Parts: sequence; structure tokens; C-alpha cells
Amino acid sequence: MPTFDENQNKWDAELLARFSNGDRDAAMALTSRLAPIVFSQAFRMLGDRSEAEDVTQESLVRLWKAAPDWKANRAKITTWLYRVTLNLCIDRLRKSNRNSGEVQQEVVDGTPSAERNLQTTERLQALQHALQTLPGRQKQAVILRHIEGLSNAEIADIFGISVAAVESLVSRGKRALAITLAPQRKALGLEDD
Amino acid sequence: MTDKDLKYPPLNDRELRLLLDAAQQAAPEIEAAFLKRLQNQALEAVPRKAQLEFTTEKLSLFRRLFDVFTQPGGWLTGAGLAMAMFFGILVGLNPPDAVLDVTTIYFQTESLSDFVGLSDEMELYWENT
Repeated sequence: MPTFDENQNKWDAELLARFSNGDRDAAMALTSRLAPIVFSQAFRMLGDRSEAEDVTQESLVRLWKAAPDWKANRAKITTWLYRVTLNLCIDRLRKSNRNSGEVQQEVVDGTPSAERNLQTTERLQALQHALQTLPGRQKQAVILRHIEGLSNAEIADIFGISVAAVESLVSRGKRALAITLAPQRKALGLEDD
Repeated sequence: MTDKDLKYPPLNDRELRLLLDAAQQAAPEIEAAFLKRLQNQALEAVPRKAQLEFTTEKLSLFRRLFDVFTQPGGWLTGAGLAMAMFFGILVGLNPPDAVLDVTTIYFQTESLSDFVGLSDEMELYWENT
């Protein structure tokens, strides 16, 4: 029995084929489904909404251009998009040398109390800052594995490296995060949890 | 470098997990206006030729005729076309003598059979029956 992921991939491919055949509804449906995924990845990599929007736009434009020649047996559409987005983000980070710069933060309101909300925001900010200190590949691997929720195999496919190499990247990235964030343990309320 | 060399002990797996889970749950939301703009760009990117073919394929002949008739003034246009078609068929089946006369004078033949190259034995007759 095909998994949910396989079904989703089939549906994406079906929509893209319909897009190439001139179906406007498919264009709308694909955008609604894929844009948030691309934007989320770009925002977490870049830490800047405006730049993440630019990358999202560019990634989707590339998908539309690739659509007429898309082959059903090619990589998953989402995997292909992750790869394109990743490369666009790397280009931007190289240009702006953002790794050492300040990162804008997104305040997310989703917790019941103001105190809890503040703590969540502080944790997110601390994590985002710590992520920006990691070497490029480690940062990308940790984001894709532990925040975007991709499997090691999918990340290996995106990076074009072995699963073992991905595991190593993720492991080293997490270790570096754990060390970088250690002085803030108390401030982030981790001792109380 | 071992953990003993560090001033602060690194976060353990549970502590790090808390931070990563918080980040996972706080997915940055895409703004509605931006999504709308992306959708418009996607619509513009839909291949034009395929778009026309897709539209044509989807509509049946009946539907296309129906669309013509439901346009402003469509019924008048449709009725005019139907009447013209009816008289065209009528004239084709039973042409008035005047039409035959004009035809034979114009093409300098005495009969249509001469014009189309039929033999005398196969001469066509136009009779009022």
C-alpha cells in the first residue's frame, strides 16, 4: 500500500502535468501547497522574511519553467524544490555573508500565556542565532532533519551525498548547537522543564 | 575537546529537542497577499498554447454552440445563421432558373454538365417536379 508521502508525491506530479497541459486550477493548487513549504525552508535558512519571499518566488518560477519537461520518474517535486531553494539560499548567504550578521526574528504567538509565549520566542531566537553560527552544510542538515522533518535519505538526495554523511552532518550540527546554547540554559528555562 | 574542557556542559538531547520542537511547531506563516501574488504568477506561467487546447478540449460542441447563443445578441445571430443555412440548402437542391442562366453565361457553357466535363449522355436535367 502506498504511503501518504508517496500518494502526495503522485498527486504533486499529477498536478504538475495538468499545469503543463494548461490547467489553471492545477497552478493554483500547486502554489497553495508548495509555496508554504518553500517559504518555511527559505525563512529558516535566511532568517529574513523579505529574502525568503524572493527565494520562494524564484524557486516556484524555476518549477514552472521545468514543468513542461518534467518526467514522472524524476525526483520527488518537493525534494527537487528543497534542493533549488537550498542552492538559492546558499547563493544569498554567500553574497551577503549573512552567517556572521544579525538575523531578524519572527515572533510566533501560539502559547497560552504571555510568559510562556515570551519563553518560546526567546528559545526560538536563541536557536536561530545558534543555527547561524554553524557551518553551512551542518546548519542546512539540522534544519531539514529536525525542523522541516525530512528523513536522512531525503536530505542525502537533496545534498547528493550518502545517508551516512548526512547522519554525520546532523550529529556534528547538533553537538555544536548543544555547546553554543549551553550558557543560555538557565535563561531559556531549560533547567525548569 | 571533551565535555570536561567546556565551561558549561552542553545541552543534553532532551533540552535540545525542546528547542528544535519549538522551532518545528512555529512554522513561519506565509502572508496571504504574498501567496495571492504567487498564485497570479503561476497563472501567468501556465503554458498559453496548452491552456487554449485544454479549454477547447473541455468544451463539447453543444456547449460551444450554447455559449454562442447565450452571448448578448446571440439568439439573433444564431437565428440568422440557421435561416441562411436553410435557404442555402434549399437553393442548392432546387436552384431557380435564373441561377442556372447566370451560371451558364458566366462560364460560357450551355449546361452544367458541359462545365463539369460530363458526357452528353450524362447530361443533367433540371425539372420542376
